[in-house]
Amino acid sequence: MDYSNLRRQAASMKKSLFDQGYLDEQFCQVEDLQDEASPNFAEEVITLFFKDSARLISNIEQALEKYPKDFNKWDAYMQQLKGSCSSIGASRMKSECMSFREFCGQGNVEGCMKSFQKVKREHGVLRQKLEAYFQLLRQAGPAGAATRPGM
Amino acid sequence: MASMNQGSVARALVIEDINVDRVILLRMLQKLNCEATVARNGKEAIDLFLQGKTFDIVFSDQEMPVMTGPEAVTKIRAMGATEVKIVGLSADFGGMEAFMRAGADVFVPKPMKLETLESMLQDVIHKKNMRG
Repeated sequence: MDYSNLRRQAASMKKSLFDQGYLDEQFCQVEDLQDEASPNFAEEVITLFFKDSARLISNIEQALEKYPKDFNKWDAYMQQLKGSCSSIGASRMKSECMSFREFCGQGNVEGCMKSFQKVKREHGVLRQKLEAYFQLLRQAGPAGAATRPGM
Repeated sequence: MASMNQGSVARALVIEDINVDRVILLRMLQKLNCEATVARNGKEAIDLFLQGKTFDIVFSDQEMPVMTGPEAVTKIRAMGATEVKIVGLSADFGGMEAFMRAGADVFVPKPMKLETLESMLQDVIHKKNMRG
């Protein structure tokens, strides 16, 4: 197997995720925390993120239904999700979370609903892309870890 | 990365309910050779202090179930733990005022950079060494 080609593909995929705005520098900060003692740290964190974010999204979905116009509650849930997005560098998802919170501040139910759909969409897309990225990294082997995009 | 081995190891308390944030901060502290204890909310943190545990530095998230970060900071200071450095953390800048009013030493917006953390720990270790 051509491992160097796989590593190039992984680097290209990561660069694309940055160029399209899915990820920001914070993702590199997470990858930089990997070392020989924790070689899969980034993937472990991302896996944890998607587990927790799926739960938060479900909580928000229930809150939108069970607590109509409870903008404080909706905002509180979304604040948690936005925080997690920031922590892993999920830039586009974070932006949609911020839009939702702005609509909460305006008391705009329709805006919240539409924004929430965007949050879910970005969540799904990011999950697919990062799963593909880490799968490629695993195939590329240990030397296929962190490189900064464009370098 | 500068060596943290200046004759003393910092003991940190991480008060954080968000799993991802907690795992990342713990990993950063591990890389900086810092001993870390975890509390998942302010009450768990207070319980640790009541058990007689001491720390050189506390990192506290703002919004948490059971007891918030600023509430915990207020209680920690009221218990007489005036020497411990307390760092308030939040993804919202609005948390700064609440933390500082509660008695935190510094507020850092999330996500915290490793360089920022290293600098804070170096300062804590330096002061610890000065006290002997």
